Amino acid sequence: MQSKRLGWILLAPTLVILFFFGVLPFFYVVFVSFHSWNPFAVNPEMVFNGADNFRQIVFDPAFLHSIGVTVMFVFFAVVSELILGYILAQAFMRDFPGKAIFRTIHTLPLIMAPIIVGSVWKLMTTPSIGIIPHYLDEWFGITMNIGTSAPAAFATIVLMDVWHWTPLVTLTLIAALVSLPPDPFEQAQIDGAGKRQIFWHITLPMIAPAVVATVFIRLMDALRTVDEVWMLTGGGPGSATRFVGVHIFKEVFPKTNYGYGSTISVIVLYLTIVSCWLLYVTMLAPRTKRD
Amino acid sequence: MANVTIDNVIKRYGSVQVMHGVSVDIEDGEFVVLVGPSGCGKSTLLRMLAGLEEISDGTISIGDRVVNDVLPKERDIAMVFQSYALYPHKTVYDNIGFPLKMAKRSQSEIDDKVTKAADILDLTKYLKRYPKELSGGQRQRVAMGRAIVRDPQVFLFDEPLSNLDAKLRVTMRIEIKELHQRLGTTIVYVTHDQIEAMTMADKIVVMRDGRVEQIGSPLDLYDNPDNVFVAGFIGSPSMNFVHGKIATEEGVRVFVSDSGLKLPLPETTARDGQEITYGIRPEHIQIGPGGVEMDVVVVEPTGSETQIFAKAGKDLIDALVKERINARPGSKLGFVINPADVHLFDRASEQRI
Repeated sequence: MQSKRLGWILLAPTLVILFFFGVLPFFYVVFVSFHSWNPFAVNPEMVFNGADNFRQIVFDPAFLHSIGVTVMFVFFAVVSELILGYILAQAFMRDFPGKAIFRTIHTLPLIMAPIIVGSVWKLMTTPSIGIIPHYLDEWFGITMNIGTSAPAAFATIVLMDVWHWTPLVTLTLIAALVSLPPDPFEQAQIDGAGKRQIFWHITLPMIAPAVVATVFIRLMDALRTVDEVWMLTGGGPGSATRFVGVHIFKEVFPKTNYGYGSTISVIVLYLTIVSCWLLYVTMLAPRTKRD
Repeated sequence: MANVTIDNVIKRYGSVQVMHGVSVDIEDGEFVVLVGPSGCGKSTLLRMLAGLEEISDGTISIGDRVVNDVLPKERDIAMVFQSYALYPHKTVYDNIGFPLKMAKRSQSEIDDKVTKAADILDLTKYLKRYPKELSGGQRQRVAMGRAIVRDPQVFLFDEPLSNLDAKLRVTMRIEIKELHQRLGTTIVYVTHDQIEAMTMADKIVVMRDGRVEQIGSPLDLYDNPDNVFVAGFIGSPSMNFVHGKIATEEGVRVFVSDSGLKLPLPETTARDGQEITYGIRPEHIQIGPGGVEMDVVVVEPTGSETQIFAKAGKDLIDALVKERINARPGSKLGFVINPADVHLFDRASEQRI
C-alpha cells in the first residue's frame, strides 16, 4: 500500500502540471470553439453559436487550401528527412576519418530555435543580399525570389525543414541500427538476399518501430510549423506557404478571431490524431503479436 | 552434395595472425566437427567457409570450385547460427521459405518445400507463429528447416545447441544426426563440447590457437591422441597427467613421478631418464588389491558409476569405476593400471612417444 501512495506522490507534480498546461487548455479550446469570440471588438462577449464555426470551416477555401499545402509540405519534408536521415545513419555506422567531428557538426541544427533558423534562412534567401539567390544567379543564371515565386518559397521551406530536422531522424535511426543483432543480416546473406532485398526484407521491418516513432514526432511537429515559416515568408507569396499553423496564427492574432481560430485548432488536432492512429494501425499494430 | 577442401588457410586481422595454415579435407557426405576451446579459431574457420569472413591466404574449395572470392549467397551453403538468427518479424513459414523466396522460386514450390521441411521437423502446427512464440528447441528446428529447404551442398552449424538446456541438447543431437543420415549432405559442425563432437562426428578436427592439433575419427582420437592437448580435450572426465621420468629399478622399467609415485609402463622406445608426461584415462583405472596405493581425497557417486580423486605426494589421480565404492576421505585404496592403457608424451614437446 505504501509503495502505491509513494507512486502517487511522485507522480503528483507531473499530473498537476499536465492538468493546468495540457488538459485544462485543451478543454478550454474545445469550449471556445463553440463560440464566437473577439475579445478586442466592440462587443468582447463570448457568444455561444453552436456548430456554426464547424459548419463554416468545411466551406472555408482559405482553411482547405492551408490543409492542402500543409499536407504537401509534411509529405515532402518528412519523406526527404527519412531518406536522407537513413543514408546519414548508415554512413555514421561505418568508420571514416573525421567521423566524430562530422557527427557533432551534423547535429548542430537541432539545438537552434526555429525562430533563429527562420531568420538565418531569410537572410540567406532574400533577393539581392542573400547568398543563395546570388550564387544561383551567378553560377546557373537562375533567378530566385521567394517573395514572388510560390514554388521557390515552398521549396525553400521544405529545404529549411529538412536542414533543421534531418539530424533528429539520423540520431533515432542510428540508435535503432546499432541495437540490431548482426546474425539475421549474415543469415540473410547466406540465404541469398542481395543488398536491396536485405533492406526491404530485414532492415526496414526490424527498424520499423523506430521509423514510425520518428515519423510520429516529425508529423506532429511539421503539422504545427509556424515560427520558421512566419519568419521566412509570412505565409506568402499570396497564400502559397500559408500552412495550417500559420493560418490559425493569422486568424487568432491579427484578426483576433478567437472562436474560429479555436475551431481550426480542434480540427487540426483531430486530423493529427487520426493520421497518427492510421500510421500506427498500418505499421505497428500487426507487430504487437510478435514482439 | 560436395566435398570441401580447406588448404593452408591463414587469417590475419591487420598485423595479428589468428589462423596459421589450417588444412582440412572433408569428404562428400561426411559429418565433420570442428572442436576446440573458445578462441581456437573454429568459428572463424566456419565463417570463412560461409564467406562471412575473408580469407587472408590459402584456398577454400566447395566441390571443385575455389570459393575464396565467391559471395556467401553464391556458395550454395546453408548455415545455422548459435542464436538461430531467425527473422523476428516473419512467421515460421516465412522464415523457412525465405531462401526460396530470395531464389525467386514459384509459390507452389515454396509451399511444397516448406510443408515438407515442417513435416520432417515436426513444425507443421507452428507455421503461422512468430519466433517469439516458440521455445528454444522449436526455434532451433526452424533454423534447421530454413537450411534444409535450400537443399545445399554443405550445411554449416555454428554451436547450434549451446543455447539449449542439457536435456534438449541430447534430443536435438539425435535429431541432427538423424537428419544427416536421411539427407546425406556434407555437414561442418562447430562446437566446444567434446561430447557433442564424439557422439555426432564421422571426423573430428581438434583445433587450438588457430592450428589443427589432430584430425581423426572420434575413437581414433580417443585411443591414439597425438599430443597432450588432444588427450586432455577428448574424453570426459579428462585424462590424468603425471609428470616424471623413466627409470629402471631392479631390472624393471617404471615411471617415477616428480613426487616419487611409481607407475607401470607399457613397452616404449623412451630411454631411461627421459622427461615424460604420463597419461591414463580415469575410466581405465580399476580399484583393487595389488595396485598403487593412494590416499582418497573425494568420492563422487553418481549411481551408475563412482568417481574417486586420490593423492600420492603431489600427484592427483582421478578414477572412474562402475562399482560403488565406500571409501572415506583419507583412507587408502589400490589403483590398478593396465600398462596397455597408458599414453606417454614427451614432456617438452607434449607429443606422443
